[in-house]
Amino acid sequence: MEASNVVKVFGSVHALDGLSFKVKPGEIYGLIGPNGAGKTTALRVVSTLLLPTAGTVKVFGLDVVEKAAEVRRIISYLPEEAGAYRYLSGWEYLEFMAKFSAKSKDEVRAMVAEAAEICGLGERLKDKTKTYSKGMKRRLLVARALMAKPKLAILDEPTSGLDVIHSYHVREIIKKYVREHGVTVLLSSHNMLEVEHLCDRVALINKGRLVAEGSPQELKEKYGCSNLEEVFAKVVKIA
Amino acid sequence: MLKGFGTFLLKELKELMRDPKILLPMIVVPLVMFPVLGGVVGYAMQAAQEQAIKAALVVVNNDCGNWSNTFINFLQGLSAMGFNLTIYTESNIKPLSEKVLELLSKYNTTQILEIPDGFSQNITIHFNNPNVRAYVRLYSVLRGTSVFENIGSSAVDALIGMFNRQHAPDILYSEKATVIKGEVKYGVDPMAVSGLLMYQSIVLPMMVLLLISYAPQIAAASMAVEKEEKTLETLLTLPIDRLAILWGKLLSSIIVAAIGAVVYTAGYSYTLGSVMAGTPARLNVDLAALGLVPSTLGYLLLGLSLFVTIVSVLALSVILAAFAEDVRGAQALVGNIYPMIFLPSIALIYLDINTLPLAFKLVLFAIPFSHPMIASKAIIVGDLWTVTLGIIYVSAFTLVVMYAASKLFATEKILTAKIKFKGLKKRKGVSAEES
Repeated sequence: MEASNVVKVFGSVHALDGLSFKVKPGEIYGLIGPNGAGKTTALRVVSTLLLPTAGTVKVFGLDVVEKAAEVRRIISYLPEEAGAYRYLSGWEYLEFMAKFSAKSKDEVRAMVAEAAEICGLGERLKDKTKTYSKGMKRRLLVARALMAKPKLAILDEPTSGLDVIHSYHVREIIKKYVREHGVTVLLSSHNMLEVEHLCDRVALINKGRLVAEGSPQELKEKYGCSNLEEVFAKVVKIA
Repeated sequence: MLKGFGTFLLKELKELMRDPKILLPMIVVPLVMFPVLGGVVGYAMQAAQEQAIKAALVVVNNDCGNWSNTFINFLQGLSAMGFNLTIYTESNIKPLSEKVLELLSKYNTTQILEIPDGFSQNITIHFNNPNVRAYVRLYSVLRGTSVFENIGSSAVDALIGMFNRQHAPDILYSEKATVIKGEVKYGVDPMAVSGLLMYQSIVLPMMVLLLISYAPQIAAASMAVEKEEKTLETLLTLPIDRLAILWGKLLSSIIVAAIGAVVYTAGYSYTLGSVMAGTPARLNVDLAALGLVPSTLGYLLLGLSLFVTIVSVLALSVILAAFAEDVRGAQALVGNIYPMIFLPSIALIYLDINTLPLAFKLVLFAIPFSHPMIASKAIIVGDLWTVTLGIIYVSAFTLVVMYAASKLFATEKILTAKIKFKGLKKRKGVSAEES
């Protein structure tokens, strides 16, 4: 996945201001930055929700503007505040989502079974999603995003609003899935511990621009910090 | 009392009363709508009364005796008493039934009063034998199905009553004949026919009205709930055609609304049927025999008119709902379409569109949502051209709305467009800036 000089303007606000980064196949790439840095906008452009004002974004060689429909077949996007349909059960929700990617009924069944294993909700999948706790709902949605084995999974704050236990569980799910299926992941997060734990490489963005990039280890060494939080504070201050 | 209930209730009331999205449809729209509605009904009543008072009546004197002249003099004398009644007189047209249409056209009126042969003789006998009475026959043209259609014919009954009071009680009575689609139907009271037509033409329009008022709420809610429950973003990144989302919402809304309309209409029809069961026997008029039941083609055209109108209302609702952030906001926005649905519909229950001034008529024709109501009345009197032209017009409007809806769904605006009620300014991209 490659973003080149991406600009996104909303009225007078430059949400993205020449953002460029590259994600290698099979890696987990993290976007980190303060509120309003442009992380969600960047993920929305990559996932074909928003059109870039300028610049190009390609996902496995497919332009997100010109080949949007084809891009949607190989990606899976998990928005930060995503919800599930309140009056569907967990099973029904997963089945509904699987039908868009699967080519046969067997494939739908296989995907739903995979998702059931990923989320670990067990019998609760039979209940309507409106009865789920926030953590359960997030696990369901992460499972939904991964069950189709997308070439690129775009996860916006995958552990957003979750407690330590649930966050840990979701992170383990992502790691295991990438390791087993070779899925490429582009994620954004506020949680530096999560980023250090999960990502192969990270991009620090501020005011819609990339201000630092590298593996967590490289960045810590480069800026002489003991953790990514310090790197983050230092880089954003410099920027 | 539940702990904290009062505090919470007060907070809710404040929130609701300060929310322009609630204020606009709940308070402002009715403030505008009801005076307009009152004006429409008032106008209709005034127009009907003026029509009755200004009635032009052709009196055909086929008797030419003393009493018939007295009766004509009495009618002509009413002008001097303040009645704005124009009397045209004709003599010896026999049989009148063959000349009715010609006379109506000649004098451009809707009513003819025949003084039949033997009128004077019967009155003269009446003074010796009260069982013998004279009669006049009133021919009325049935033009439409408006509530006030037959105030004119009842006004003639009132004139006969005045004549009787001057001379002798029950000296004179009226026989009614109704001209329907150019044919004279004897013994048919236009008021009875009109009443039955009202009954028939209310059930159908009410179903139409229910359907086109139900469906937008459902469509708007289904669209808005995607935003409120944060499922829209996920949906838009799935490998699904954006138009499939639009059509899925439209069709599901039509189905649910249709079920609702059928249930409500059944209930309404049952209630109305119970009420009608207690009406006088004189209303027992066979509408089918009078040719006043819609044809199969008429029903098909009504169905088509209803379908294209509903698709346009739904598409418009989905577009509006796309600009709202939640269900409440969407329903408030869709509420703004309602005056355009209800005002013409209610007006058309009271008014016959053919008798309206041109400007008023054009306004009603221009509102796409009034066409199913116009159609439901037009098919009863066999006016299929008006229905067909309406379908063409509404279809064109629907195409424009559908085009706009599909454009909205094809772009990022479906996600980012919002209407900010403060100052009613459209704002884009706010949610996308939150990163």
